[in-house]
This record gives sequence, structure tokens and C-alpha cells, in this order.
Amino acid sequence: MAEANQQGCLFVGEGVVLKGNFQVPDIASISGVIEGELTAKQILIEATGVVHGKLSGESIDIRGEANEYVSSTRSLIIRSTGKVTGSIHYSEIEIEKGGHLHGDLHNINPHS
Amino acid sequence: MSIFSKNSPPDNRDDKIANEQVDDYSEPAPVSAEEQAAAYEPAVRNEQASRPGIAKPSIISEGFTFEGTITSDGVLNIAGTVRGKITAKSVLIEASGRVDGELNSDQLVIKGQLNGEVNCEDLNVGPLAHVDGSISYKYIHIQRGGKVSGKFIKN
Repeated sequence: MAEANQQGCLFVGEGVVLKGNFQVPDIASISGVIEGELTAKQILIEATGVVHGKLSGESIDIRGEANEYVSSTRSLIIRSTGKVTGSIHYSEIEIEKGGHLHGDLHNINPHS
Repeated sequence: MSIFSKNSPPDNRDDKIANEQVDDYSEPAPVSAEEQAAAYEPAVRNEQASRPGIAKPSIISEGFTFEGTITSDGVLNIAGTVRGKITAKSVLIEASGRVDGELNSDQLVIKGQLNGEVNCEDLNVGPLAHVDGSISYKYIHIQRGGKVSGKFIKN
């Protein structure tokens, strides 16, 4: 979890509730709750993490819950404990068995 | 030679030859009979096993286009094109397969292309698959690289 270099990273621990819009230049690791918009290069929603609001990033890895909107320009992974609802935009997707997906899926570059 | 020297006295040549000849005759015969039996049995077993066990799949071959309704209690493999409605217990859309229309099945594996309305329990989307439409499922697995778009509803 980027222990070596935490510059530009956001870590939200379990039990923490954040409200607002967040711009994270590097990694955002969420074990708590975020209410609002989150933009980061890399987003990790841990099993206890919940995001209510827009989520955008290059690589997004969801073990927790993401509601409303998810946009990933590189890779989106929904793990077996992950739950995603709402509108989803991706260029590459992977859903592990058991993952929960409810909503509209859009491929950003459908030509390939 | 050492094998025979145990059974037959080494000084009796006639006996040795007789033993060898007997061995030559007697040995290959049971082997060939066994081989025949071995070759015959699995074929019989396969035929029997395919009936009560997992049903033989129905196959829409590559290059084959089907339009209409397909209903099956068993397994359906689609390597060709199907336009219409499919209802089956288990459906596999091969890499060359294409389905346009409505699909209802318990188990669905998509390696090819699918357009339309899908209703299934267990959905597995392969890495080269293209899926577009309204999909209702219970369990989903999308392998990396699979292209999916449309509405996804978890039951």
C-alpha cells in the first residue's frame, strides 16, 4: 500500500467518514466512507470501503462498495466482495466471480 | 535365455525349443484378446455414459446460421450464428459464435459475441467476448479483456 512513498496519496481508514470532493494525484485507498466525488490515479476501495458519489481514475480496484458512478480509463476490477451500482465507464474490465454489478456498463473505446 | 533356464534343464534343447514355441503361441494370444476387449469396452462405456450423465451438447457449427427459437433441456454449443430466442439449461457461445436476440439459460459462457436480452443464473464472459444488451444474472464473472456494455441487473 505504497508505504515507501505516500506522496500524493489518500488513505481513509475504517470508520472514517469523509464528505466533499477529493483530488488525489496518486493512490487513494478507501476503507472508510466517502460521500462525494473522488478522483485519483489509482483507487482502491477496500472491503469495508464505501463511496457514495462519483469515482474516477485510471485504475480502480473495488473490494467494497461503489454507488452512483465509476469511470476508469485503464482498468477496472471488481473483486468477489465488490459491489458496484450505477453507471460504469471502463476501457478494460474484470469481474471476479461473486462480484456484484448493477447498472449500465459502457466501454470507453468500443472499437477494439 | 536365463528365464527359460529356470524352467527347463539347460542340457535339453528340444524341451527349450518346445517351451519357446509354446510361449510364443500362448503369450500373444491373451494379450491381443485383452487389447480387443480394452479397445471395445471404452467405446461401449462412452455410449452408455453420454446418455444418463451430462447430455450430449447440441451444436450450431461454425458457418451455420439459425433463425428462430431454440429450446433445449441440455447443453447448447454455438459456434455459428443464431438470431432469435434461445432457451437452454446451459449455453456456450464459442469464440466464432454469435447470438442476436433473447437468451435464457441457467449457465451461460460467452467467448464470442452476444447482442440482446439475457436472463441467466451463472454468467461467465471470456476475455475475447463482446456482449451488448440487457443482462440479468445471479452470479457474474467477467474475465479481463471481455467487452461488455448495456444494462446489468443482479437478481
